[in-house]
Amino acid sequence: MTSGSDQRPSPAITILLVEDDAPTSWRLQDALATAGFQVTSAATLAEARACLAQSAPQVLLTDLQLPDGHGVDLIRETRQRLPDTEIMVISILGDEESVISAITVGATGYLLKDAFPTDIAATVHELVAGHSPISASIARFIVRRTQSQPEPPPGPPLNTAKLTPREIDILWGIAKGFSYAEIAGHLGLSRQTVPGHIKNIYRKLEVHTRGEAVFEALQQGLIRL
Amino acid sequence: MTEAAAKSRVSGGRLWPLRASLLVQYFLLQALIAVICVVVLREPPPEPSSRFLVTEFTLKENGAERSVTLPHFTASRFAMNDPPLYTGRFNWPGDEAQGAWSVLLPRFTNGVEVTVNGVVILDSRRDPAANRPDRNTPEIAVIPASLLRDGPNDVAIRLFVWGPITGFLDRLYVGPDEMLRPSYDARTLLFVTLPVVISAWQAILAVILAIMWVMRRHEPAYGILAAAMAIGVAQAFLQTPLAQSPTSRLNAALIASAPIESGFVLTFALLFFGWKWPRYGWLIFAPGALVAAAGLFGDAVLTREAFLFVGAPTVGLYLVALALIIAHAVWTRQDAVSFMFGCAITIVLTCWALDLASVLQFMPNRRIFLARLSYSAMLVAIGAALTWRFARALNQVDSFASSMVTLVREAEDKLKASFVREEERARAAALALERTRLMRDLHDGLGGQLVSIVALSERGNASAGIGEAARAALKDLRLVIDSMDDIGGDLMLALGSWRERAMAQLRPHDIALDWRVVTPRGMPVHPELRPWHVIQIVRLLDEAVTDAAKHAEARRIAVSIETLTDAAGVARGCITVEDDGKGFGLAPNGEAAAGQTAARGLRNMRSRAARCGAELELISGAGGTRVRLTLPRRFPDRDAAAG
Repeated sequence: MTSGSDQRPSPAITILLVEDDAPTSWRLQDALATAGFQVTSAATLAEARACLAQSAPQVLLTDLQLPDGHGVDLIRETRQRLPDTEIMVISILGDEESVISAITVGATGYLLKDAFPTDIAATVHELVAGHSPISASIARFIVRRTQSQPEPPPGPPLNTAKLTPREIDILWGIAKGFSYAEIAGHLGLSRQTVPGHIKNIYRKLEVHTRGEAVFEALQQGLIRL
Repeated sequence: MTEAAAKSRVSGGRLWPLRASLLVQYFLLQALIAVICVVVLREPPPEPSSRFLVTEFTLKENGAERSVTLPHFTASRFAMNDPPLYTGRFNWPGDEAQGAWSVLLPRFTNGVEVTVNGVVILDSRRDPAANRPDRNTPEIAVIPASLLRDGPNDVAIRLFVWGPITGFLDRLYVGPDEMLRPSYDARTLLFVTLPVVISAWQAILAVILAIMWVMRRHEPAYGILAAAMAIGVAQAFLQTPLAQSPTSRLNAALIASAPIESGFVLTFALLFFGWKWPRYGWLIFAPGALVAAAGLFGDAVLTREAFLFVGAPTVGLYLVALALIIAHAVWTRQDAVSFMFGCAITIVLTCWALDLASVLQFMPNRRIFLARLSYSAMLVAIGAALTWRFARALNQVDSFASSMVTLVREAEDKLKASFVREEERARAAALALERTRLMRDLHDGLGGQLVSIVALSERGNASAGIGEAARAALKDLRLVIDSMDDIGGDLMLALGSWRERAMAQLRPHDIALDWRVVTPRGMPVHPELRPWHVIQIVRLLDEAVTDAAKHAEARRIAVSIETLTDAAGVARGCITVEDDGKGFGLAPNGEAAAGQTAARGLRNMRSRAARCGAELELISGAGGTRVRLTLPRRFPDRDAAAG
């Protein structure tokens, strides 16, 4: 376990970074520490749980494939135990498989492992400010799930029933490559409210309890009793 | 039916003796049936006690007077104006306690008028049922008490005879009504009510068989039998005309019903047992037509003569023919139906013979006619048997249908299984094809970038280059994965992801990316758009952006997306990438004058555009470069360049 610290006067944002690949972990720590975050890092699920037991970080950054378990479990636990902690998943490709499964258990953002250091810091800052990042392919995946189809397309299960038509419009705009400003212009919103909508969307896609998960799986016909 | 026929054909020779013995047995059985019929029919129908018999009469006929004993047959076939008069006596004990007395006439032909002590108490001509010589209708009349005298009383019967047979008067009973009435009731039930019931049944079967024939025109046997039944029913309700009326001629013609009806039954038997219709088959109906013509155009005498000398023998002849046909059927088919027909026809034939004997006064019976009754019963039995057979055939159709359902279900299951197999094979083939494509795409991009990473790392001093190459490799990997997603032919969705990647790529270089969607709806949707088209287009755009960033030192890159209408009026998507860099001079042959890398990049872009069927337009000058990609009307199905 290594800890990066910095001596900035402002109350530093605390981050728990869970990543088993050492070089990647160093790179992310460097990028975050340089930007003034207070980073604690863990390489395994067990270490991460120990850290979370000691203190609650403001942000949890976690990889999904860990040597002793899956990051999804960590996200779910953290979301239940520490509802104020913002959770981001670290993904190599930013593909919907990993990002959506993290969102449904409580993550509200994702970070690409090879992002530029400035982008990494900016994304975490935005997240803390309540703005969730979203990619065109993630938006595309979500809106395609909102279209009624006899068979759900392949990928992780997702219940989009709670999304409002406006939110779906926003997702369409993102999927087609429009900027937040353009979307805001098209839909008659203010530019600042669009990122907040994204976080709402993520929250709505979250499956809160096991029972709810079963219920939603039933609703979507994924399982049959 | 055909099964039995086939059986007989195959093993006919070998089974000959067996068959002959069977036929002998059959005829013996028919003889037995005939004997039983004779014995049973010799038994007189119900009669009251002989205590009340009055048999001694004086007959006054044709002016002559003599004493006779009943039963008595008259000599003439017609006596309406001066009918034979039978006068007799009976004793009334004068005991009022015995109740009312009646006169019972169990059988007579054709009509009677009963007088007691000079007062007429009964005229049977008013009873239509009693007017038919073929019905054995009894009559009973209560003698009004005021007419009766103590001791001997006179009773006189006038016998009206109108043919076609001679007059007949059976024994007469005079006694207490309660003693006579039970036998009267029994006879009425047997000879009046039962024929009506059978006729009603026959009418129903006539309708059923007619419907069957209408629905199955290829089986005329049903229609023929329906006609026979219909005539039988008409005959049963036919009134014998006594007076001239507008319809009396028609009624007279209906006297031909018996020969016509037997003709129909003979036709039915011929058709039913599969005989070839004889060339002069219609002659079967000639006697019936003759009798009908006599009834229509001749006088009463001619009608009676025609019936007696043509109609009745025809019936007998046809009955014999029927018996022979059925015997032949028993011989060839040996089935239950022909056997049953055979027994029935034997009974009818026997009854007919007995009736004939009675008419010709060969047999001293009481002139009870049963042929008609037995014949109606037989027709009803035939109709019922056919209906039963038809119902059984329907059941067979049902079981055939259910077995067909099972067969179809089995076939369906097999088809489903093979369809699943086929689908799996198709899926496997698609997967293999996809894997090939993926390999090629990864080889084109990722492979090359990884090789360059290896090369850079071996040089050991170009860490910046390694990072760039690795980042390009990751970018390409994302492109490949992204392109696999189904975007439903909307290229805008692929460009949305590309925009993100391009912006991430350009941000460190401090190059702004202007994104402009000129046409609000973006570009036309191409259902035929495949992942490899998307990869080629996105890689082409990547090359344009990379060239602008790396080689042209641009500060600003503008991407605009629009839908243009070409000369033929077809909407086509158009993507333009413009930069404000220094450009690269194009040689007259289109090759870039700039460095090797740029030249290769240009070549690649042309080849990718060609593979997608898109048009590429490159304009480069000192003020920047403009790459304009016009998408095809329809994307090609096959990758022409890569095979």
